[in-house]
Amino acid sequence: MAPSTPSSHRPRKKRIGEPITSNGTVTTDPSTKQDKPAFPLAAFFWPAKGTGLSQWILLPIILMIVFLFRWTTAMWPYSGMQKPPMHGDFEAQRHWMELTIHLPVSHWYFHNLDWWGLDYPPLTAYHSWVLGQIGWLVEPNWFELYLSRGLDDAGLKVFMRATVVVSEYLVYVPAAVFCVRQLAKLHNINNWESSIALTALLMQPATLIVDHGHFQYNTVMLGLTLATIASMLAGRPLWSCVFFVGALGFKQMALFYAPAVAAYLAGVCLFPRIQPLRFFGLAIVTLASFAVLVLPLILGTAYDAYRNVPLPSDAALPPLLTMIPFDLSEKAWYYPYVVQLAQAVHRIFPFSRGLFEDKVANIWCAVHCSGIHKLHQYDSALLSRAALALTLTSIVPPCALLLFFPKREVILPTFAATAWGFFLCSYQVHEKNVLLPLLPMTLLLAREGGMKPAIRAWVGYANILACWTMFPLLKRDELRIPYFVLTGLWAYLLGLPPLNISAYMISGGDGGLHIPSKAIHIGTYIAMVAWHFGEAFVPPPENKPDIWVVANVCVGAAGFGLCYLWCLWQAVQVSGLLGRKTEVVKKMQ
Amino acid sequence: MSDYPTLLQTSVATTALKVLLWPAYKSTDFEVHRNWLALTHSLPFQQWYYENTSEWTLDYPPFFAYFEWTLSQAAKYIDPRMLEVANLGYASWNTIFFQRSTVIVTEFVLVFALWLFVKSSPAKEKRQAHAAALSILLSPGLLIIDHIHFQYNGFLYGILILSIVLARKKSGLLVSGLLFAALLCLKHIYLYLAPAYFVYLLRAYCLGSKSIFDIQWLNCVKLGLGIGVVAGLAFGPFVYMGQMEQLLSRLFPFSRGLCHAYWAPNVWALYSLCDRVLIYAAPYLKLALNHEAVNSVTRGLVGDTAFAILPNITPRMTFILTLAAQIPALIKLFLHPTWHTFTSTLTLCAYASFLFGWHVHEKAILLVLIPFSLLALTDRRYLGAFRPLAVAGHVSLFPLLFTVMEGPIKVVYTIIWLVVMLVGFDGLAPASPRPRVFLLDRFTLLYIAVAIPLMLYCSLVHQLVFGANYEFLPLMFVSTYSAIGVVGSWLGFLVVFFTS
Repeated sequence: MAPSTPSSHRPRKKRIGEPITSNGTVTTDPSTKQDKPAFPLAAFFWPAKGTGLSQWILLPIILMIVFLFRWTTAMWPYSGMQKPPMHGDFEAQRHWMELTIHLPVSHWYFHNLDWWGLDYPPLTAYHSWVLGQIGWLVEPNWFELYLSRGLDDAGLKVFMRATVVVSEYLVYVPAAVFCVRQLAKLHNINNWESSIALTALLMQPATLIVDHGHFQYNTVMLGLTLATIASMLAGRPLWSCVFFVGALGFKQMALFYAPAVAAYLAGVCLFPRIQPLRFFGLAIVTLASFAVLVLPLILGTAYDAYRNVPLPSDAALPPLLTMIPFDLSEKAWYYPYVVQLAQAVHRIFPFSRGLFEDKVANIWCAVHCSGIHKLHQYDSALLSRAALALTLTSIVPPCALLLFFPKREVILPTFAATAWGFFLCSYQVHEKNVLLPLLPMTLLLAREGGMKPAIRAWVGYANILACWTMFPLLKRDELRIPYFVLTGLWAYLLGLPPLNISAYMISGGDGGLHIPSKAIHIGTYIAMVAWHFGEAFVPPPENKPDIWVVANVCVGAAGFGLCYLWCLWQAVQVSGLLGRKTEVVKKMQ
Repeated sequence: MSDYPTLLQTSVATTALKVLLWPAYKSTDFEVHRNWLALTHSLPFQQWYYENTSEWTLDYPPFFAYFEWTLSQAAKYIDPRMLEVANLGYASWNTIFFQRSTVIVTEFVLVFALWLFVKSSPAKEKRQAHAAALSILLSPGLLIIDHIHFQYNGFLYGILILSIVLARKKSGLLVSGLLFAALLCLKHIYLYLAPAYFVYLLRAYCLGSKSIFDIQWLNCVKLGLGIGVVAGLAFGPFVYMGQMEQLLSRLFPFSRGLCHAYWAPNVWALYSLCDRVLIYAAPYLKLALNHEAVNSVTRGLVGDTAFAILPNITPRMTFILTLAAQIPALIKLFLHPTWHTFTSTLTLCAYASFLFGWHVHEKAILLVLIPFSLLALTDRRYLGAFRPLAVAGHVSLFPLLFTVMEGPIKVVYTIIWLVVMLVGFDGLAPASPRPRVFLLDRFTLLYIAVAIPLMLYCSLVHQLVFGANYEFLPLMFVSTYSAIGVVGSWLGFLVVFFTS
């Protein structure tokens, strides 16, 4: 614990209970013995330090400042802008809006898969429906089924960008504020420091650039996850079930967290004593949430059944139905609903796709692309089983830890480690999925000592490396400049390379990193900078056109592997697993 | 010490935002400057002030042309197509990238000037100076005008502040004067400030501190020679080529109207508002109506402004009014030639020319805002006069940006700036030795409160209610509202200035 800030110059009259913490935001200048901000982001909050500035002023200002960066990023191109024939994620989202507002509900999951068919869970469909209705009011030409394909109207861009910002400010931002507050309460952190952590979280470059640059609605799912974590921290496990079902219902990728969520919820039912009532409560609330989630879909199908709206002519029966051992009567009253749900599941989980998509910095792609071992010689069933086994191996340690030590302090690192395990080892991973492990890991900044050089350096390392692995994607979207600006700015604000190395100037004894970690970090940063120069100026050899992307994937996968281990180690440290051992040792002595 | 965030930290963070603004809307000024790059690069210097392929002819003084020429030396490596005079409206990505980044890079003159300002201020005023410097560096005016609309004000105001800061010490007076002369040769709008410089340099540099009859001949010669050299470098070649008449006709186009396209929030905006109101009142008051003016399509939009009831205004009248408004402050400066009075007088000169000048552009409000920012933290009375100006000045810039995407940027950035600076300044301004002007304080509060519904109306409600009709209405509201603020803060500042 660093020496707490001297309070001589502060007025004593403060709100009662405002703790004086040093989360690593303040250091002492060795020559003048005066406090100074440990990194530039803390410097920007310096004028508010110790003034007891109302949250009613500070919070809106933070939210407005992060809005500016979102909205200016939104001015840049989006994925697939003016890129026929398929365009990109922007077109997919626009298409879902027109699809949901123009087609009967029972057609949503059956409509033409080839042109960005709906393959996200129902909450996304409802979200698209709401946005589509609003957009239809604003300008019907933007959402004419079939006719508006690939539209790149300037007004449409503004509208779509605004929907991302509004969705984020309705879900992610309140959840982040709530979550950071819960962490502050748990670790006794003052307002000033948790505001800094909140800003760092909201300025996270990877999330910002994927949602507002590339174009997606990840923050809705991530926001619901934040709300899940916050409810767990607040001791409201029932609410966490509701929010997590929401997250899953918005984007199936939230499954990355599912084992950790399940482990924690099971853990609180089992330890310190078995509470069957709580367990039933959780089960009922979860089931009820799922029921509410699919209810609009069911009601819509009922309405269509009542109107005798047939399924599209090209609709094939979902394979799930053909796999069940008993026959379903087409005349049964429940038949349309079963078909709908089975089709939705079929769309959401496409088991037939490959092991990894594009080039992603996980183990499989690194092993395959680097030429260590070519994987396409194996049967895909075997590969998927191997992926499953490896994923299980990687997530069992963090989940077991959370199950046996269901403490609130353990939640963040185990969530991060589980998500890293999924990202590195599982099937069908996308480079943008790195946002999932990043979220709980970045939240560590809001924890006790979270902004001390050691944790700050690791959190920053993961974030910057993650942005870097997405560079090939962002380059395709013509988002190079926002990438450099947002990543560079965030790194600078947190005192991290390449623009600032203050976090690495502190020795291991004073809350900094130890020499080996420093060497790894600095080495990776040098590799990333060198890679950028190489990628920009050195054309790849003819027989290896992908050499730069492959290099990116390999370095990324190695770095993420370290992040996984570090998160696991953090979890072990805070769980008390080792603490008890040392106690035992002490007793024996 | 609470000198955090430092100027460097702030400029790094804002540079990030400014780079992100590259794809934003840019006004015709972008094309104006591209054209100047092209013509200075590809034409011999004799033709610079005669070239008229583009309607955006070179109408800045020669130093700015030299500046553009220097930039064009780098531009040819980025995209040589932007340097073709006939390539009108050319805006390739590289051109945008190049021109926008020159604005950001040259703005570091401002950062340096502000750093010097903080460094040169007395120890007990350091914190206030630092806050003032930050407020200028982060000014929404500069963000809107330079980094979205497109101009080089950061660079130009950097030189102005450098010159003001150098005037702090007796030893810096000569350089300060020369820098200001150079600034005049970059952009002649700063002529409005020249009277204050003239009086200050005359009294503090050319005349003895004890008596005005103790003429410092050596200083006079140094200053005279220096200014001669600066002016010679700028205008000498053109005098030699006999182009001065052409050059001056480009610099001072008096054929323009009284009010600019958007009404700048000055006395004439209020004057023409009165005129409009009187048209409806005329039948009751039995006033003579100038029917031509009533039906005039332009109605103060472009070209001549004709008034229906009130007497028409001539350039000569605006000139006399401006000078009349400047003289009292200049007399005080002559009697008390301190740096503080000098800066105040600069501000008052800027106020006078902004409020009464001919064809004033709303962007000229920076001329008032920036010198005043240096003084705003002197004490609470100054701050009281500054507040309405800070609100009015920035709100009046809003009509410059009318595109949907940029709307939230200008509004949100300005609100952040206003809240942070006004809250921060409130805690930093020391109490005044004199009692505050009670009425002024209340006026300020009411005034700021009105800004919120006004902004809402102009950016949202008007469009919802009237659609594209009555487009002049929000413009008129904004300019009237801002004019009241600017005039109010001017009156407040006059009271503070002449009573302290």
